[in-house]
Amino acid sequence: MSDKLVPITRLGKFFGGEDYSLDVAMGSEWLEGDMNFTVILYRIDRYKTLQDDVYGEVPEGGIQFLAPVEIKGLVQILAPTAQKLGTSRIEQNEPGNMKFSIYQSYLDELQVEIQMGDYLGYYETESKVRYYSVADDGRVVSDNRHTYGGYKPFYRTIIAAPVSQNEFFGT
Amino acid sequence: MAFPKQIKTNINLVPPKTLSARREQLLEFINKDGTYLPQSVLHADLDLGMLEFVKEKLKTTVSGKDINVVDKIITNQRWSQFTETWNFKDPDFNVQLPFITVVRQPEVKYGTNPSTQYTIPNRKQFYYATVPTWNGNQKGFDVYTIPQPVPVDLNFQVKIMCNRMRELNTFNKNVLQTFSSRQAYTFIKGQYVPIIMNNITDESVTEIEKRQYYIQSYDFTMLGYLIDEEEFEVKPAVARVVQLFETDVNVAKGRRAETFPPNPNEFEYRLFYTSGNTTLIDNQVDYRINLSLVSTNNINGWDVTINGDFYGSNLDTIQLNTGDILQVDITKDNVGEEALILYNAKLV
Repeated sequence: MSDKLVPITRLGKFFGGEDYSLDVAMGSEWLEGDMNFTVILYRIDRYKTLQDDVYGEVPEGGIQFLAPVEIKGLVQILAPTAQKLGTSRIEQNEPGNMKFSIYQSYLDELQVEIQMGDYLGYYETESKVRYYSVADDGRVVSDNRHTYGGYKPFYRTIIAAPVSQNEFFGT
Repeated sequence: MAFPKQIKTNINLVPPKTLSARREQLLEFINKDGTYLPQSVLHADLDLGMLEFVKEKLKTTVSGKDINVVDKIITNQRWSQFTETWNFKDPDFNVQLPFITVVRQPEVKYGTNPSTQYTIPNRKQFYYATVPTWNGNQKGFDVYTIPQPVPVDLNFQVKIMCNRMRELNTFNKNVLQTFSSRQAYTFIKGQYVPIIMNNITDESVTEIEKRQYYIQSYDFTMLGYLIDEEEFEVKPAVARVVQLFETDVNVAKGRRAETFPPNPNEFEYRLFYTSGNTTLIDNQVDYRINLSLVSTNNINGWDVTINGDFYGSNLDTIQLNTGDILQVDITKDNVGEEALILYNAKLV
């Protein structure tokens, strides 16, 4: 990040920073207030988590999380796929990935960063939670889609792949 | 300096058998069920032998926990797979990592085991054992013959699926230690069947936006052979018959069988003279007999000539031999009537 701030003047004849902030605020109100999809973010404590010296793998029970954070965003769960595990004959119904879109301003407000490998927990019912591992933290938002009409990036899309519970609990 | 970690708490004080004693022991393994014949070894038995081998010899423990082994050869039958893996499933009823599974290639090709390859044509039967028999009356032997076993190669893929490299390493170590001589043996119905390790491949999921896990596949070939008890033959050999008779020492109370026609040793010897006849000649006596006079009728007197020699007159007894010529001349009381001399003939 550069210390020097450069004003964004593109689209200036009919769009500006105030419009941008207004639309993001309205979108946030709709997403976080009306929709209210809540995901629990489990950030890996990369200092306290135990790992072996060679592979960096976590021993049993060695994984440590920072305090979980409830975050709100747009949750899309992709359809599961029936498939076999590799070339074995073991069949399974592989859950679909989670596509999670969140306003960057919201993360900035919470002072939370989502990184590759963090876990997301999403309660499908009151008693059933599914865990996902962040496979794409959506840090790169330079594409047109993630910018507001080409003005400035305003949200991130996070792709998270499902994990088994024993992986999440480190057993 | 490292200390050895394997502590043997039980030491076998009985030395293992060697040479002929060991061969006899192996034969006892094969004939364990006591039928004098080996048990059938078919595809399912070989598959089971591979499963047992993986469960026992390739048992892998990481961090104090055994890695689950799917207890069946997984086939296309879905409910069976579900049943066999239910105890290590996640809430989605998917199999929970880590686990080991055995996949058998469905096709089974003619074997490459050098000891049983294309050596004996036409399923010729070979002597296997001579078995004594006794059915309570007949003591003998049955000869058991079996054909040469059919060699088969069964290709297995033992797959480990896990999340961590240390599980791969531990399993890999177990496999390589077991197959350090390239082959290992499994024990199937009393017979040692060799397994050869071929190749190790990695099929891990490396796509970024998918659940990531390791899959490693170990290819093995079992150099098995098929023994089908339906092809065994049992033929009778030499037999001895012991026949026992019991004789009743008491007097027989049963009715004796009558001889028919009757065969007496006495019979009537009749000399019958018709009216006007006074001489009878028996040109050849068929028996050696003694004649005893019984009665006469209208006889005044008679003269007996044997073989042309006069023998006597009015004889009460006459001895005749086989082939004699007997002539009897009579004098009737009433000349115009019939006359009879009746002797009793007794065979001598």
